[in-house]
Amino acid sequence: MAAPGSNYAVSVRSVTKRYGNFTAVDDLTFDVHSGEIFAVLGPNGAGKTTTIRMILDILKPDTGRIEVLGGPISDRTKERIGYLPEERGLYRNVPVIDILTYLGQLKGMSRSDAQTRATSMLEQVDLGENIKSKVSELSKGMQQKVQIIATVLHHPDLIIIDEPFSGLDPVNTQVIKDLLYSLNSDGVTIMMSTHQMQQIEEMADRLLMVDHGHRVLYGSVQEVRDRFAENAVIVEGEGNWNALPGVASVENAENGREVLLHLASGITPDAIMQEMATSQNYRVRRFELAVPSLNEIFIQVAGGNHNHTQPSELPVRS
Amino acid sequence: MAWNKVKLVLQREYFFNFKRPSFLFTAFGVPAITFVAMFLIIQVTANRETNTDAFQKVGYIDRAGIITETVPGYDTFAPVTDVDVSAPADGASPDDLAAYYDKLQERAAGQLDSGVLDAYFVVPDNYVMTGLVDLYAAQNIPSALQSDVEDFMRTQIAARAPGDLPVSSDRLAAPVDVILRDADTGDELGEFAIVGRILLPFLFAFLYFMATNTTAQFLMNGVVEEKENRLMEILATSLRPIELLWGKLLGLGALALTQIVLWAVAGIAIASQFEEARDFISGGAVDIPMLLLFLVVFVLNFALFSAIMLGIGAAVTAEAESRQLASVVTLVNVLPIALLSVYFTNPDGAMPVFFMFFPLTAGIGLIMRIGLTDIPM
Repeated sequence: MAAPGSNYAVSVRSVTKRYGNFTAVDDLTFDVHSGEIFAVLGPNGAGKTTTIRMILDILKPDTGRIEVLGGPISDRTKERIGYLPEERGLYRNVPVIDILTYLGQLKGMSRSDAQTRATSMLEQVDLGENIKSKVSELSKGMQQKVQIIATVLHHPDLIIIDEPFSGLDPVNTQVIKDLLYSLNSDGVTIMMSTHQMQQIEEMADRLLMVDHGHRVLYGSVQEVRDRFAENAVIVEGEGNWNALPGVASVENAENGREVLLHLASGITPDAIMQEMATSQNYRVRRFELAVPSLNEIFIQVAGGNHNHTQPSELPVRS
Repeated sequence: MAWNKVKLVLQREYFFNFKRPSFLFTAFGVPAITFVAMFLIIQVTANRETNTDAFQKVGYIDRAGIITETVPGYDTFAPVTDVDVSAPADGASPDDLAAYYDKLQERAAGQLDSGVLDAYFVVPDNYVMTGLVDLYAAQNIPSALQSDVEDFMRTQIAARAPGDLPVSSDRLAAPVDVILRDADTGDELGEFAIVGRILLPFLFAFLYFMATNTTAQFLMNGVVEEKENRLMEILATSLRPIELLWGKLLGLGALALTQIVLWAVAGIAIASQFEEARDFISGGAVDIPMLLLFLVVFVLNFALFSAIMLGIGAAVTAEAESRQLASVVTLVNVLPIALLSVYFTNPDGAMPVFFMFFPLTAGIGLIMRIGLTDIPM
């Protein structure tokens, strides 16, 4: 848990990091609240990993100040953090239980505690039969689960995890998601960096989006989506939508079933819904505020002209 | 620095690398193969050199007239005779005697060809002046048969000594046995101890090279592996870099020392099977101060190479790249061993002295000079 009196698991203030003439992180400020799930997103090369490495004291910021779990990072603080980098691996020719015990001990656990908890967690993620298997004998998904166990084995107060679901099938994604939810419900703060917008929308309380080292989006997921919401509604049904009072223009969706109604200035979605309900000329099966997905916001904010996202990772909104 | 974390890394590095097949092969396989190979070679050689069973009939022709005694234990030795050739009478001319012995030699050669004799030797006319005896056989002559002939002749000479000679016939047969003694302690040195004093430092230098390079490369490969698979980032959030490096250095240093101890024990076990080698080891070739010096030099040498390998591991991003750089360092390190002959021809020459002072060759260069020259400490 964070120090008494501190609401922040991580506090980053005006942090800048340069590599020669290249500014990786530029005057970045944000907080991660204790007990929340916080998402960091941004195109490749935006400065996410550099920011995480500075939080973990792997890199030192050129300017600015970072506090973790209530103060500047120290050896004691590090034992309360679980970290899983994006490009990850383990000692390949070592039994799973030996690696987990070793990493647990390095985080301050006793040998017996580390072994007991590692065994229990491996069974929890259906790897009970692979306790003595070497890492090289496991599938990629199995290795991913072992790595996540190594991250959370020592009961950290803060988990920093880069792309937690990459390489996992839907079943294993759910297993890991449940594990993270379970930890979060116990008060563990989770800071995750991911390209999977669907996971952020589903899991994160708040988010930070960085681009070229700058903060471009920051706040609760709902706030961010509302901020980018247009004055429009999505409707599925029958009727002459152009004739509906208060509708400025009509846009047919690609799926052919729904339409996007852009509302005239001063007209609210409530007024349009009331108009449809009172008229006999319209039948409505679905009515929804046209709030953009995080994916759409991401593309819009990041400009879409960078070679920074992998389309296959981005969910397509129906 | 958190020494409990250093200890964790030390234990992990030691036991993980100890179980590596490459280490097990180097530490146990090489001595085992050496032991088996030496045993077989020595058995075959010893059998061939000491076994005289194939020489049951050894003839001799005494042209110098030296052999007069029947010596116990030399029942297989008998003079070559020829029933078709009558022995010259007393007072026969030298030419008649020479013709007679020539015929006996022809007879002996024929008997050797036909297998009647297994070997024969000729004591020539000028034996008293030269001490030379010619030994003939149809197959390889074992050194044991040569020794038998030499001992046989010594006994014959001793038997001819005048009765008033103030030495026994045994002493006359074996007049000198030099005892080598340590100049400092006065302790008796075995026949092979002097050789040991020269060669043991070379063996240690070779052990240093093998053990240091094996384990220092484990160190480098470990760092490169942890960098490649990003484990280094996880470790960096668990302990300080200095703790990680100390743990690795001490763990693999202990592993290198284990390797040397294993080899030394195996070497002593193998050597103790042979008398000459026992002299080689126990004859004062190595003493406690020298062993301490070897230990100190090993620790410093290992620390230097480990630091270099760690530096290479930290600087590169791929294992192949690290091996290329490491091979350059190894090549320099092995130079004193590769130029071994220079040490024997002139241990105080410019090159051995330079190697002793150049950091990358200093450890091995110092050890190799110890047995050959005086080095001010």
